[in-house]
Amino acid sequence: MTGECPVGAGRISRRGLLSGALGAAVAAPVAVALRSGAAEADAPQTTPEESSYPFEGRYQAGILTPVQRSAAYLSLDATAANRRELQDALRALTSSARFLTTGGAPPDDGLLATAYDSGVLGPDVPADGLTVTASVGASLFDDRFGLRAQKPARLRQMDEFPNDTLDRSVCDGDLLLQVCAQHPDTVTHAVRELMRQTRGALTIRWRQDGFTSPPRPSGTPRNLMGFKDGTANPPTADASLMRQLIWTEPGGVEPAWVEGGSYHVVRLIRMLVEFWDRVSVREQQTMFGRDRVTGAPLTGTNEFDEPDFGHDGTGDVIHFDAHIRLANPRTTATDDQRILRRAFNYDTGTDSNGNLDMGLIFTCFNADLDRQFVTIQKRLADEPLVDYIVPFGGGYYFALPGVQGKTDWLGRGMFA
Amino acid sequence: MTIASSAQQGAGTPFSRRLSRRRLVGVLAAVAAAGTAIVISHHDGGPPATPVPHADAAIAGTPVTVGTDVCGSGWTGGRAGPQTFAVWNNSIEGLEVYVQDVATGKVYLDVENLGATVTRSASVTLAPGTYRFSCLPGDADPVVGPVEKVTGSYAGAVTPGLVPITDNDLAPTLVVYQTWIRSRLPVLAAQVRALDADVRAGDLAAAKGAWLRAHLTYETLGAAYDAFGDDDAAINAMPTAGIPAAGDKNLAGFHRIEGLLWSGAPAARIAPVTRALIGAVVHLRKDLAVPHMNTIDIGLRSHEILENALQLELTGASDAGSHTNLATIGANLVGTLEAMKPIRTLLQRSDPDLAETDRWLARSQRLIRSFDHHGRWTSLSRLTRAQHERIDATLSQTVELLSQVAVITDPRRAADQ
Repeated sequence: MTGECPVGAGRISRRGLLSGALGAAVAAPVAVALRSGAAEADAPQTTPEESSYPFEGRYQAGILTPVQRSAAYLSLDATAANRRELQDALRALTSSARFLTTGGAPPDDGLLATAYDSGVLGPDVPADGLTVTASVGASLFDDRFGLRAQKPARLRQMDEFPNDTLDRSVCDGDLLLQVCAQHPDTVTHAVRELMRQTRGALTIRWRQDGFTSPPRPSGTPRNLMGFKDGTANPPTADASLMRQLIWTEPGGVEPAWVEGGSYHVVRLIRMLVEFWDRVSVREQQTMFGRDRVTGAPLTGTNEFDEPDFGHDGTGDVIHFDAHIRLANPRTTATDDQRILRRAFNYDTGTDSNGNLDMGLIFTCFNADLDRQFVTIQKRLADEPLVDYIVPFGGGYYFALPGVQGKTDWLGRGMFA
Repeated sequence: MTIASSAQQGAGTPFSRRLSRRRLVGVLAAVAAAGTAIVISHHDGGPPATPVPHADAAIAGTPVTVGTDVCGSGWTGGRAGPQTFAVWNNSIEGLEVYVQDVATGKVYLDVENLGATVTRSASVTLAPGTYRFSCLPGDADPVVGPVEKVTGSYAGAVTPGLVPITDNDLAPTLVVYQTWIRSRLPVLAAQVRALDADVRAGDLAAAKGAWLRAHLTYETLGAAYDAFGDDDAAINAMPTAGIPAAGDKNLAGFHRIEGLLWSGAPAARIAPVTRALIGAVVHLRKDLAVPHMNTIDIGLRSHEILENALQLELTGASDAGSHTNLATIGANLVGTLEAMKPIRTLLQRSDPDLAETDRWLARSQRLIRSFDHHGRWTSLSRLTRAQHERIDATLSQTVELLSQVAVITDPRRAADQ
């Protein structure tokens, strides 16, 4: 296949997406950033409804953004025939994501084509807190697109850790789209539109949908084990801390284009909830090191109390192999290993034995995959919790730098 | 290709096009008129009705009245850019309403099936120029409105226009296309007779080759989505999921024969089915000897053949054992190009993406042919993930572009007819 045809270029150019005319054709509502840096950094909450996040910026939205209620993770393989077609597809993704995250009336193709938009969200597409975060996987950096030399240094096929049971058909992929919004119909709509605009160039390798629970009754949303999940996140409003922990430093081993990007780890983790529910709350709390009701560390009273490992030197209260103690020992030496968690629950269906298939789409961002996520994950090997979970899929990705200006597009720096 | 026994007989043609895809202004008009009559009779005997017909003021847009007497009153042109109208049909008939460029005849807005007394909001983005509303009642002459100027300039994207493609434009293309189909039927008939002969001779290896040749010929004919009605059910009905085709006595035609041949059934079991297939093809020839298509069908066929291939072939749903789905898709691509041939001149005039559509069709053909190893086709199950993804993506992009062909060649009335 010589692939001389631009992927989707007809639909796109005619609709003015490439030229940026779409923005002009649409009466774009003013994008108001609400809580784009969590003001109460130690009390993560879901986004207020009816908000929208600016599409452009140094960093992509959907990283520091407070978690929305609904999410879809799409791992995509590039079927583009060459470098130019891949570039066209990334431009189309950019244009479509810009429109969807801004909202407004879709462009009108008159009598020449089927409707531009599926109509799922009505005639005026609401932004609804939508973020579309695009990341690249290691497999994109082979010889197909001439990107071999541009691979972020730590990027690779996802490691299989000792307690994993990976199904490689739901791992990795050339690209990852993390699509999040306040309502599931907004996410579904965005997925349909994004895929339609890149039909010939990107195909779905695997998909997992997720949701975030509202605070029950307060504080950090709970995962499907009944525990608050993400309490110990570093404060996203602390820009210098984010530069240290989240944003990858260009230069050294890393290519220059990674400036503004971040390693994006996704792990699909089945929870064996029937088994878990047959475990006493005391034992559950011992495994996590936190109180199930309040989320407080077992050395504390309130959710956001710091775990006091110093006065628990024998591990009597929070066991040495408790999840929170292994994940974040809170020592000077482990300080730069902290990650930003942005997980979603999933609830998909049933297993062949009638057990429920549900769990966690573990998601985290970190500046250095090996220094941070991988180090933590290795420390968690064989923790008591592993009997109740089955990590089966996901991947390592690199969240692209943000789109800056009307003519910029996602991933442009990779092709420089 | 027929899915199970979903065929429903429609009126007018031997075959049962799904009525939902047809433009039904005339029928709607009749319904709307009847509805009005009922409303009026409802008032008989009660207090005197004071029908003051009026537009629904709650509908967004510049109020514009359309009907069988007036057309476009309330609109006075205005500035270039987006405009929204609250189009009110003050007549007792269903209408189709255009906003049309007076100089070029291009239609920029087409409000279809606007029922009697209905007010509907409709939007369009117009460049500077001269335009008018045109009102097309289901069963009466069009009424054209006053010419209005749109002035100023607009930097954003405007709605693209289309010179309506009419029944008169499409009628000759139907003749060409149906003539082509008829020209292929003797070939098909000879191929199914050859298949039958191989089976009767007990040469089942040869019969497999004959089956593929005949089946591929049929798959070029554009039988997608019930285009051939009951004839397709007799010739090419889909296997039922979960039931082996060989043993499915309710299944006739190619896929039953396929199931028998590839499961090693004896010739004596196959022969009655191949004989019946000969008869079914004879019946098809009889039905196709008369005109059997509507003007809307040819554009629809241009995209439906491949929609069918995506749904039934690329999923393997139609496979009864030969694993020749990719060969079938190749034939479907040929069929798509044949359906487009007669309307190509119209498309050259109206479809801005025709060249790209052709490139994707050619790309699809090259890709599918790469799985033909001298008549032995790669089965779907032997495709690598990357190969399958590439086929999925390539055919899907192609059919996205083909959907435009159907929309553009949707037959419309000329406003000056």
